[in-house]
Amino acid sequence: MADKSDITLYTTQTPNGIKISIALEELGLPYKVHKIEFSKNAQKEPWFLEINPNGRIPALTDTFTDGNPINLFESGSIMQYLVSRYDTEYKISHPPGSREWYEMNNWLFFQNAGVGPMQGQANHFTRYAPEHIEYGVNRYQNETRRLYGVLDKHLDEKKIPYLTGEKCTIADIAHWGWIAAAGWCGVDIDHFPALKAWEERMAARPALEKGRHVPDPHTVKEVLKNKEETEKHAAESRAWVQKGMQEDADKLRR
Amino acid sequence: MSTKPIRVWLAPPGPNPWKVILVLEELQIPYEIVSIKFEDIKAKPFIDLNPNGRVPAIEDPNTGLVLWETGAVILYLVEQYDVVKKLTYGTVQEKSHVQQWLMFQISGQGPYYGQGSWFHVLHSEKLPSAINRYVEEAKRICGVLEQGLTDKRWLVGDKITLADLAFVPWNDRLDVVLMCPAECKFNDFPRVKAWHESMVARPSWEKAMENGMPKQVSNMEEYLAKIKVKKNTRAEAEGS
Repeated sequence: MADKSDITLYTTQTPNGIKISIALEELGLPYKVHKIEFSKNAQKEPWFLEINPNGRIPALTDTFTDGNPINLFESGSIMQYLVSRYDTEYKISHPPGSREWYEMNNWLFFQNAGVGPMQGQANHFTRYAPEHIEYGVNRYQNETRRLYGVLDKHLDEKKIPYLTGEKCTIADIAHWGWIAAAGWCGVDIDHFPALKAWEERMAARPALEKGRHVPDPHTVKEVLKNKEETEKHAAESRAWVQKGMQEDADKLRR
Repeated sequence: MSTKPIRVWLAPPGPNPWKVILVLEELQIPYEIVSIKFEDIKAKPFIDLNPNGRVPAIEDPNTGLVLWETGAVILYLVEQYDVVKKLTYGTVQEKSHVQQWLMFQISGQGPYYGQGSWFHVLHSEKLPSAINRYVEEAKRICGVLEQGLTDKRWLVGDKITLADLAFVPWNDRLDVVLMCPAECKFNDFPRVKAWHESMVARPSWEKAMENGMPKQVSNMEEYLAKIKVKKNTRAEAEGS
């Protein structure tokens, strides 16, 4: 029997945020949601920096086994915490110390150190940057394509439904929101058939369907189908991204 | 039964493999280095070990495990060999915080410092707004570390862990990222400076660097300069 939880998830509608709500839904754990308003820069407010000094989402608080609060940030470490503590039946993980556990961590780190940062830079240069730099757009779109190619080849050659075999784990969940948003950074998922099939397989999971709409509806796929809607969404995001960059820079110069 | 040496595949110039070497040195685990050239990391036989074509990867003959991604590798080494919990904790709370800072290193410090050095060292065209983006981000990351070290010597608890060690190789070349003299790189971050200096003074780092830098090269700038010269020469040759 897993411990009793008292989880609050601090999040917004982004590929990193929904990793946690999807994992929580897959585990069937109750949780409260605290929406962080990026447009109001809530992620840089002192109370939130107490929870996450990095000023990024997601973050999570819980009551630990000793009765005291625990604060966590970094999506990858939050997912490792959730499965270490609550996934006693290995629904979305493998037994610690097993070969599959280490392989799961391998792909989890690949997402957090590779796909996330590189696709994030592709988003920046494609959608948010103050000036258009063709070189930056190409560099990061190509790197994202290269990383997608690694995933596509792995799934295709091993003929496995999920990254570590027959079971969907936190390594798969970590990737989903990013792969589902491929078009946002200008990468065409149709060039990666095994990965595309994996994305659709993931999307068919009821817990994913529930978890992806936290704290707001997940609309990136629909938005991308409509060019006007895409540009409107990009303009809104561009405004707060550039504002945040300026404020960070000013603070460091003080 | 004695531990057979762990085989570490690496290409010396990058900072990431040295995280793994640092942990091996700290834990006194026997290892052997298979050094490959930069141009061979996306070719066989290496991509059979790591389909991502990035160093490092390890082969552990004791367990038969092949593993890549530095974060996953050092967590494995500690779980498998650090029985006395020298570089981690046994309790979920502390262990979670160790993983949290490790994730911040691999998804924050590594990628941003890496892109920063790309744009002003390795990329031939100078793009001020791109350079500025990564310089500011590197400073922001140091600011987060500075705050994380408030009233503390180490990131988690009262001892050095794998989370502290993971930051060393990239912080050691922060001056390249910020384009400033080596002695000024931690100017706004005194706690980060003291923390970093205490770690590079450890025998593990000295040993790693003994193995690490290619011969005839004493520091990273020299090495990067060498690559740059080679690249320019080649570009000129192609242009003429």
